[in-house]
Amino acid sequence: MAEDELELVQRSLDGDLEAWGEIVSRYKDAVYGVAIAILRNRADAEDAVQEAFIRAYTRLRQYDLTRRFSTWLLTVTANVARNMLRKRRPEPPQRFHWPEDPADVMREEQLRELVRKTVWSLPDLYREPLVLRYWHDMDIAEISEVLRMREGTVKTRLHRGRALVRAQLAEQGVMSNAL
Amino acid sequence: MRYKELDQLLHESLREERAEARDLLEGMEHTVTVKLASRLSGRPSWRKWWRMLSHPPLAMRGAVAVGIVLALAVGFLAGRMWGPGGFGFEETTGTMFAVAAPQAESVSVKGDFSAWEPVNLEDRGSGVWTAVIELPPGRYEYAFVVDGRWVGQDPVADEYVRSFGEYASVRYVEGDR
Repeated sequence: MAEDELELVQRSLDGDLEAWGEIVSRYKDAVYGVAIAILRNRADAEDAVQEAFIRAYTRLRQYDLTRRFSTWLLTVTANVARNMLRKRRPEPPQRFHWPEDPADVMREEQLRELVRKTVWSLPDLYREPLVLRYWHDMDIAEISEVLRMREGTVKTRLHRGRALVRAQLAEQGVMSNAL
Repeated sequence: MRYKELDQLLHESLREERAEARDLLEGMEHTVTVKLASRLSGRPSWRKWWRMLSHPPLAMRGAVAVGIVLALAVGFLAGRMWGPGGFGFEETTGTMFAVAAPQAESVSVKGDFSAWEPVNLEDRGSGVWTAVIELPPGRYEYAFVVDGRWVGQDPVADEYVRSFGEYASVRYVEGDR
């Protein structure tokens, strides 16, 4: 753990909420990324971010200093998000409506928007590791710890998730599926 | 499409999602610290009180009803018997400054009102340090110092200011905004 980060954690343990505010500032983006990967909904993800930081603060004494702080915090976030998901009413599977004529030359930003929507429409077990990988550049070990799955499973799901995105885009004629 | 190109596309797409989230996360630090301060000081938020009173658990409903009646009765009697000048309670005036710091050894507040000289707070024994300072109407910037450490964000402040890389809190006394 970085020295100044250790100091922030120590100060937070002493009751210094300003120090915890600094930690929130540093990690809110990463925490949001995990929350939205699981919840797929911006408003819910925002609530999960708040709850995750509050829960992490109240459990700070349980944090093992030998462990990377970011991993611990993101694991707390994943648990908060999954709890919220369980309480949420199940949603019908998202159907993404493709533009009428995808063969038209597509502007880059349209293509990125399509890719984003494809990612959000993936099943949970492929979407979550994919978002953690491409949002945070997390390595396999960290994804495995945050999502509580074996590293081999993470690799498999990343490959399949990526292949699914590619196949869906190719199916609609947006790009070739050939390697 | 090669996987390398798809990887780049995935990165760029999610980067845009991150950029859009920035507005959503603006002020999250303040929201979290205010909620924590409320929980730590033992003062439930008004929502929690409302939920407890409007939907008490079944077993408690009778007790809540009796409690409300007793509280009203005691309040009525107190108003009749112990009005101003009754037991000689002094009315407190001034602005309360409070910090929850159970493990601290010294806490002070400094601000415009003290020419930024420290004013010591007292621990009443519960780990909550307090001081009441008489302040004429106006706008006051201040910060706490807890065991030598600057603590600039008071959860009950009206606003925060940041200068020279440090936060300070702001309170308005008697509506001077």
